[in-house]
Amino acid sequence: MAETKSPSVGIRGWQIALLVGILGLIILFYKGLWGNPNFIPPVLVGTQAPEITGPDLYQPKEVSLSQFRGKVVVLNFWASWCLECKLEHQNLLAIQKRFAQNPNFVLLGVNYQDKEDLARQYLQEHGNSFEHVRDVKGRISIDYGVYGVPETFVIDQNGVIRHKQIGPIVGETYTFLVERMIEPLLNGTATTS
Amino acid sequence: MKRLLFIPLFLILFTSLSTAQTLNEDQLQQRVREVSKTLRCAVCQSESVWESNAELAIQMRDIVRERLIQGESPDQIRAYFVSRYGDYILLKPRAFGLNLLLWGGPFLLLIIGGTFLFRTLRKWVAETAPASPEELSPIDEKSRRRIEQEIRGLEPDK
Repeated sequence: MAETKSPSVGIRGWQIALLVGILGLIILFYKGLWGNPNFIPPVLVGTQAPEITGPDLYQPKEVSLSQFRGKVVVLNFWASWCLECKLEHQNLLAIQKRFAQNPNFVLLGVNYQDKEDLARQYLQEHGNSFEHVRDVKGRISIDYGVYGVPETFVIDQNGVIRHKQIGPIVGETYTFLVERMIEPLLNGTATTS
Repeated sequence: MKRLLFIPLFLILFTSLSTAQTLNEDQLQQRVREVSKTLRCAVCQSESVWESNAELAIQMRDIVRERLIQGESPDQIRAYFVSRYGDYILLKPRAFGLNLLLWGGPFLLLIIGGTFLFRTLRKWVAETAPASPEELSPIDEKSRRRIEQEIRGLEPDK
Protein backbone atom coordinates (compact mmCIF):
# COMPACT_ATOMS: atom_id res chain seq x y z
CA MET A 1 0.00 0.00 0.00
CA ALA A 2 2.77 2.36 0.99
CA GLU A 3 4.55 1.70 -2.32
CA THR A 4 1.56 2.60 -4.46
CA LYS A 5 1.01 5.77 -2.43
CA SER A 6 4.46 7.37 -2.80
CA PRO A 7 4.58 7.75 -6.65
CA SER A 8 1.24 9.55 -6.63
CA VAL A 9 2.64 12.03 -4.10
CA GLY A 10 5.61 12.57 -6.40
CA ILE A 11 3.32 13.24 -9.30
CA ARG A 12 1.35 15.71 -7.23
CA GLY A 13 4.63 17.60 -6.62
CA TRP A 14 5.23 17.64 -10.37
CA GLN A 15 1.74 18.89 -10.98
CA ILE A 16 2.17 21.76 -8.56
CA ALA A 17 5.52 22.74 -10.08
CA LEU A 18 3.99 22.60 -13.55
CA LEU A 19 1.02 24.70 -12.52
CA VAL A 20 3.25 27.30 -10.88
CA GLY A 21 5.45 27.39 -13.99
CA ILE A 22 2.52 27.82 -16.35
CA LEU A 23 0.95 30.49 -14.14
CA GLY A 24 4.27 32.34 -13.93
CA LEU A 25 4.64 32.35 -17.71
CA ILE A 26 1.04 33.46 -18.18
CA ILE A 27 1.63 36.40 -15.82
CA LEU A 28 4.87 37.26 -17.64
CA PHE A 29 3.25 37.12 -21.08
CA TYR A 30 0.20 38.98 -19.82
CA LYS A 31 2.35 41.79 -18.47
CA GLY A 32 4.28 41.87 -21.73
CA LEU A 33 1.07 41.97 -23.72
CA TRP A 34 -0.66 44.74 -21.82
CA GLY A 35 2.33 46.86 -20.94
CA ASN A 36 2.97 50.02 -22.92
CA PRO A 37 4.88 48.88 -26.02
CA ASN A 38 6.23 52.39 -26.57
CA PHE A 39 7.77 52.57 -23.13
CA ILE A 40 11.55 52.73 -23.24
CA PRO A 41 13.00 52.03 -19.80
CA PRO A 42 15.11 54.90 -18.45
CA VAL A 43 18.29 52.84 -18.17
CA LEU A 44 20.49 55.86 -17.49
CA VAL A 45 18.83 56.82 -14.20
CA GLY A 46 21.28 56.17 -11.39
CA THR A 47 24.33 56.28 -13.64
CA GLN A 48 26.88 58.98 -14.40
CA ALA A 49 25.47 61.54 -16.84
CA PRO A 50 27.23 61.36 -20.24
CA GLU A 51 29.42 64.34 -21.05
CA ILE A 52 27.92 66.97 -23.30
CA THR A 53 29.79 69.00 -25.86
CA GLY A 54 28.01 71.24 -28.29
CA PRO A 55 27.77 74.80 -29.51
CA ASP A 56 25.82 77.37 -27.53
CA LEU A 57 22.66 78.46 -29.30
CA TYR A 58 23.53 82.13 -29.02
CA GLN A 59 27.20 82.64 -28.29
CA PRO A 60 30.14 81.29 -30.28
CA LYS A 61 31.30 78.96 -27.51
CA GLU A 62 31.19 75.31 -26.57
CA VAL A 63 28.94 74.11 -23.77
CA SER A 64 29.91 71.06 -21.74
CA LEU A 65 28.25 69.39 -18.79
CA SER A 66 31.50 69.11 -16.82
CA GLN A 67 31.68 72.89 -16.52
CA PHE A 68 28.62 72.64 -14.22
CA ARG A 69 30.17 69.99 -11.98
CA GLY A 70 29.05 70.31 -8.38
CA LYS A 71 25.73 71.84 -9.37
CA VAL A 72 22.25 70.42 -9.78
CA VAL A 73 21.65 70.40 -13.52
CA VAL A 74 18.23 70.13 -15.12
CA LEU A 75 18.61 69.12 -18.76
CA ASN A 76 15.63 69.80 -20.94
CA PHE A 77 15.51 68.41 -24.50
CA TRP A 78 13.24 70.48 -26.70
CA ALA A 79 12.58 71.51 -30.30
CA SER A 80 10.74 74.34 -31.99
CA TRP A 81 8.54 71.87 -33.92
CA CYS A 82 7.51 70.08 -30.73
CA LEU A 83 3.98 70.92 -29.60
CA GLU A 84 4.27 69.46 -26.12
CA CYS A 85 7.37 71.57 -25.53
CA LYS A 86 5.19 74.67 -25.80
CA LEU A 87 2.97 73.26 -23.04
CA GLU A 88 5.82 73.09 -20.57
CA HIS A 89 7.77 76.14 -21.66
CA GLN A 90 6.22 78.56 -19.17
CA ASN A 91 6.90 76.02 -16.42
CA LEU A 92 10.55 75.84 -17.44
CA LEU A 93 10.77 79.60 -17.17
CA ALA A 94 9.10 79.35 -13.75
CA ILE A 95 11.65 76.76 -12.61
CA GLN A 96 14.49 78.99 -13.77
CA LYS A 97 12.94 81.98 -12.01
CA ARG A 98 12.44 80.02 -8.81
CA PHE A 99 16.04 78.79 -8.56
CA ALA A 100 17.87 81.58 -10.38
CA GLN A 101 19.23 82.93 -7.07
CA ASN A 102 20.77 79.58 -6.18
CA PRO A 103 24.35 79.39 -7.47
CA ASN A 104 24.15 75.59 -7.37
CA PHE A 105 21.34 75.34 -9.87
CA VAL A 106 21.57 75.19 -13.67
CA LEU A 107 18.80 74.77 -16.19
CA LEU A 108 20.23 73.82 -19.56
CA GLY A 109 18.18 73.48 -22.70
CA VAL A 110 19.24 71.00 -25.37
CA ASN A 111 17.88 71.93 -28.77
CA TYR A 112 17.00 68.64 -30.46
CA GLN A 113 16.81 68.02 -34.24
CA ASP A 114 16.11 71.61 -34.99
CA LYS A 115 17.19 74.46 -37.22
CA GLU A 116 19.16 77.19 -35.53
CA ASP A 117 17.03 80.09 -36.74
CA LEU A 118 13.77 78.29 -35.93
CA ALA A 119 15.03 77.52 -32.43
CA ARG A 120 15.93 81.16 -31.83
CA GLN A 121 12.60 82.31 -33.22
CA TYR A 122 10.81 79.90 -30.88
CA LEU A 123 12.65 81.26 -27.85
CA GLN A 124 11.98 84.82 -28.90
CA GLU A 125 8.28 84.06 -29.13
CA HIS A 126 7.91 82.05 -25.93
CA GLY A 127 10.52 83.65 -23.72
CA ASN A 128 14.02 82.65 -22.79
CA SER A 129 15.87 82.92 -19.50
CA PHE A 130 18.44 80.13 -19.53
CA GLU A 131 21.26 78.68 -21.60
CA HIS A 132 20.78 76.35 -24.55
CA VAL A 133 23.13 73.97 -26.31
CA ARG A 134 22.61 72.81 -29.87
CA ASP A 135 22.52 69.06 -30.36
CA VAL A 136 24.47 68.66 -33.57
CA LYS A 137 23.67 65.41 -35.43
CA GLY A 138 21.84 64.03 -32.42
CA ARG A 139 25.04 63.20 -30.57
CA ILE A 140 23.83 64.52 -27.20
CA SER A 141 20.31 63.13 -27.38
CA ILE A 142 21.40 59.66 -28.47
CA ASP A 143 23.99 59.68 -25.69
CA TYR A 144 21.09 60.32 -23.30
CA GLY A 145 18.81 57.73 -24.86
CA VAL A 146 16.33 60.38 -25.94
CA TYR A 147 13.76 59.27 -28.51
CA GLY A 148 11.34 62.15 -28.47
CA VAL A 149 10.88 65.56 -26.98
CA PRO A 150 10.30 66.89 -24.44
CA GLU A 151 12.46 64.82 -22.14
CA THR A 152 14.00 66.19 -18.96
CA PHE A 153 16.84 64.85 -16.84
CA VAL A 154 17.74 65.88 -13.29
CA ILE A 155 21.45 65.48 -12.57
CA ASP A 156 22.79 65.78 -9.02
CA GLN A 157 25.96 67.51 -7.73
CA ASN A 158 27.99 64.36 -8.35
CA GLY A 159 26.94 64.15 -11.98
CA VAL A 160 24.58 61.24 -11.41
CA ILE A 161 21.26 61.19 -13.26
CA ARG A 162 18.58 61.10 -10.57
CA HIS A 163 15.43 61.40 -12.59
CA LYS A 164 14.16 61.22 -16.15
CA GLN A 165 10.91 62.85 -17.13
CA ILE A 166 9.37 61.79 -20.43
CA GLY A 167 6.76 64.21 -21.70
CA PRO A 168 5.96 67.79 -20.72
CA ILE A 169 6.49 69.22 -17.26
CA VAL A 170 2.92 70.21 -16.46
CA GLY A 171 0.63 69.97 -13.45
CA GLU A 172 1.69 67.33 -10.93
CA THR A 173 4.87 66.64 -12.84
CA TYR A 174 5.95 70.23 -12.29
CA THR A 175 5.25 70.05 -8.55
CA PHE A 176 7.05 66.72 -8.30
CA LEU A 177 10.08 67.99 -10.18
CA VAL A 178 10.38 71.20 -8.18
CA GLU A 179 9.45 70.01 -4.70
CA ARG A 180 10.47 66.37 -4.70
CA MET A 181 13.52 66.41 -6.97
CA ILE A 182 15.24 69.77 -7.34
CA GLU A 183 14.64 71.30 -3.89
CA PRO A 184 15.74 68.22 -1.89
CA LEU A 185 18.86 67.95 -4.06
CA LEU A 186 19.72 71.61 -3.55
CA ASN A 187 19.06 71.37 0.20
CA GLY A 188 21.05 68.18 0.47
CA THR A 189 17.98 66.40 1.83
CA ALA A 190 17.39 64.15 -1.13
CA THR A 191 17.16 60.47 -0.36
CA THR A 192 20.11 58.62 -1.78
CA SER A 193 19.02 56.22 -4.44
CA MET B 1 55.38 62.36 -76.71
CA LYS B 2 56.50 61.78 -73.20
CA ARG B 3 53.59 63.77 -71.90
CA LEU B 4 51.17 61.64 -73.81
CA LEU B 5 52.51 58.63 -72.01
CA PHE B 6 51.67 60.15 -68.69
CA ILE B 7 48.00 60.48 -69.44
CA PRO B 8 47.13 56.74 -69.44
CA LEU B 9 49.43 56.28 -66.47
CA PHE B 10 47.50 58.85 -64.50
CA LEU B 11 44.23 57.43 -65.66
CA ILE B 12 45.20 53.97 -64.44
CA LEU B 13 46.44 55.38 -61.20
CA PHE B 14 43.28 57.35 -60.54
CA THR B 15 40.84 54.64 -61.52
CA SER B 16 42.61 52.11 -59.34
CA LEU B 17 42.59 54.58 -56.49
CA SER B 18 38.93 55.31 -56.87
CA THR B 19 37.96 51.62 -57.12
CA ALA B 20 39.91 50.93 -53.96
CA GLN B 21 37.97 53.75 -52.32
CA THR B 22 34.57 52.48 -53.43
CA LEU B 23 35.43 48.95 -52.36
CA ASN B 24 36.19 50.13 -48.86
CA GLU B 25 33.11 52.29 -48.90
CA ASP B 26 31.01 49.31 -50.01
CA GLN B 27 32.44 47.13 -47.30
CA LEU B 28 31.83 49.83 -44.74
CA GLN B 29 28.29 50.32 -45.97
CA GLN B 30 27.74 46.57 -45.76
CA ARG B 31 28.86 46.55 -42.13
CA VAL B 32 26.78 49.62 -41.27
CA ARG B 33 23.85 47.76 -42.78
CA GLU B 34 24.54 44.60 -40.77
CA VAL B 35 24.74 46.46 -37.48
CA SER B 36 21.89 48.89 -38.03
CA LYS B 37 19.56 46.08 -39.12
CA THR B 38 19.81 44.68 -35.60
CA LEU B 39 18.89 48.00 -33.98
CA ARG B 40 15.38 49.25 -33.48
CA CYS B 41 14.49 52.76 -34.53
CA ALA B 42 13.29 54.32 -31.28
CA VAL B 43 10.75 56.62 -32.95
CA CYS B 44 9.27 54.30 -35.58
CA GLN B 45 9.39 51.31 -33.36
CA SER B 46 8.62 48.47 -35.73
CA GLU B 47 11.38 49.44 -38.15
CA SER B 48 15.08 48.83 -37.93
CA VAL B 49 17.53 51.70 -37.91
CA TRP B 50 18.59 50.56 -41.36
CA GLU B 51 15.11 50.71 -42.90
CA SER B 52 13.91 53.87 -41.23
CA ASN B 53 14.35 57.31 -42.62
CA ALA B 54 13.53 59.08 -39.38
CA GLU B 55 16.12 61.66 -38.43
CA LEU B 56 17.00 59.72 -35.30
CA ALA B 57 17.64 56.58 -37.35
CA ILE B 58 19.82 58.50 -39.80
CA GLN B 59 21.81 59.90 -36.91
CA MET B 60 22.13 56.47 -35.37
CA ARG B 61 23.43 55.09 -38.68
CA ASP B 62 26.01 57.89 -38.70
CA ILE B 63 27.11 56.88 -35.22
CA VAL B 64 27.33 53.21 -36.26
CA ARG B 65 29.47 54.23 -39.25
CA GLU B 66 31.73 56.47 -37.17
CA ARG B 67 32.28 53.80 -34.57
CA LEU B 68 33.01 51.17 -37.23
CA ILE B 69 35.63 53.48 -38.73
CA GLN B 70 37.11 53.88 -35.25
CA GLY B 71 37.49 50.11 -35.22
CA GLU B 72 34.71 49.15 -32.85
CA SER B 73 33.13 45.72 -33.25
CA PRO B 74 29.39 45.33 -33.97
CA ASP B 75 28.91 43.97 -30.45
CA GLN B 76 30.63 47.00 -28.92
CA ILE B 77 28.40 49.32 -30.95
CA ARG B 78 25.27 47.44 -29.92
CA ALA B 79 26.45 47.56 -26.30
CA TYR B 80 26.71 51.34 -26.57
CA PHE B 81 23.11 51.70 -27.74
CA VAL B 82 21.88 49.23 -25.11
CA SER B 83 23.64 51.29 -22.42
CA ARG B 84 21.65 54.31 -23.60
CA TYR B 85 18.26 52.88 -24.54
CA GLY B 86 18.24 49.51 -22.79
CA ASP B 87 17.56 46.11 -24.35
CA TYR B 88 14.66 47.78 -26.03
CA ILE B 89 16.88 49.06 -28.82
CA LEU B 90 17.77 45.55 -30.00
CA LEU B 91 15.38 44.10 -32.56
CA LYS B 92 16.38 40.63 -31.42
CA PRO B 93 16.47 40.76 -27.62
CA ARG B 94 19.34 39.06 -25.88
CA ALA B 95 18.74 35.74 -24.17
CA PHE B 96 19.60 37.05 -20.73
CA GLY B 97 17.96 37.40 -17.32
CA LEU B 98 14.21 37.60 -17.49
CA ASN B 99 14.42 37.38 -21.27
CA LEU B 100 15.93 33.92 -20.89
CA LEU B 101 12.72 32.78 -19.22
CA LEU B 102 10.70 34.05 -22.17
CA TRP B 103 13.02 32.34 -24.64
CA GLY B 104 13.37 29.05 -22.82
CA GLY B 105 10.21 28.96 -20.70
CA PRO B 106 7.87 27.39 -23.23
CA PHE B 107 10.44 24.75 -24.17
CA LEU B 108 11.13 24.03 -20.51
CA LEU B 109 7.43 23.61 -19.84
CA LEU B 110 7.13 21.36 -22.89
CA ILE B 111 9.92 19.13 -21.55
CA ILE B 112 8.43 19.07 -18.04
CA GLY B 113 4.94 18.42 -19.40
CA GLY B 114 6.22 15.73 -21.76
CA THR B 115 8.11 13.98 -18.98
CA PHE B 116 5.06 14.18 -16.76
CA LEU B 117 2.81 12.77 -19.48
CA PHE B 118 5.27 9.99 -20.29
CA ARG B 119 5.56 8.97 -16.65
CA THR B 120 1.82 9.06 -16.11
CA LEU B 121 1.15 6.96 -19.20
CA ARG B 122 3.77 4.45 -18.18
CA LYS B 123 2.27 4.28 -14.72
CA TRP B 124 -1.18 3.65 -16.15
CA VAL B 125 0.18 0.86 -18.32
CA ALA B 126 1.97 -0.68 -15.36
CA GLU B 127 -1.05 -0.40 -13.09
CA THR B 128 -3.48 -1.92 -15.54
CA ALA B 129 -3.46 -5.71 -15.12
CA PRO B 130 -3.30 -7.74 -18.37
CA ALA B 131 -6.74 -8.75 -19.48
CA SER B 132 -7.91 -12.31 -18.88
CA PRO B 133 -8.96 -14.49 -21.88
CA GLU B 134 -12.61 -14.15 -20.84
CA GLU B 135 -12.30 -10.36 -20.91
CA LEU B 136 -10.72 -10.45 -24.36
CA SER B 137 -13.74 -12.28 -25.83
CA PRO B 138 -16.69 -10.91 -24.03
CA ILE B 139 -19.06 -11.35 -26.96
CA ASP B 140 -21.17 -14.45 -26.86
CA GLU B 141 -21.68 -16.69 -29.87
CA LYS B 142 -25.09 -15.24 -30.70
CA SER B 143 -23.85 -11.70 -30.88
CA ARG B 144 -20.80 -12.71 -32.92
CA ARG B 145 -22.99 -14.36 -35.53
CA ARG B 146 -25.24 -11.34 -35.66
CA ILE B 147 -22.25 -9.03 -36.30
CA GLU B 148 -20.87 -11.29 -39.02
CA GLN B 149 -24.26 -11.28 -40.69
CA GLU B 150 -24.45 -7.48 -40.59
CA ILE B 151 -20.96 -7.16 -42.09
CA ARG B 152 -21.85 -9.53 -44.91
CA GLY B 153 -24.91 -7.43 -45.58
CA LEU B 154 -22.67 -4.41 -46.12
CA GLU B 155 -20.54 -6.05 -48.82
CA PRO B 156 -21.00 -4.24 -52.14
CA ASP B 157 -21.40 -7.27 -54.47
CA LYS B 158 -24.53 -8.36 -52.69
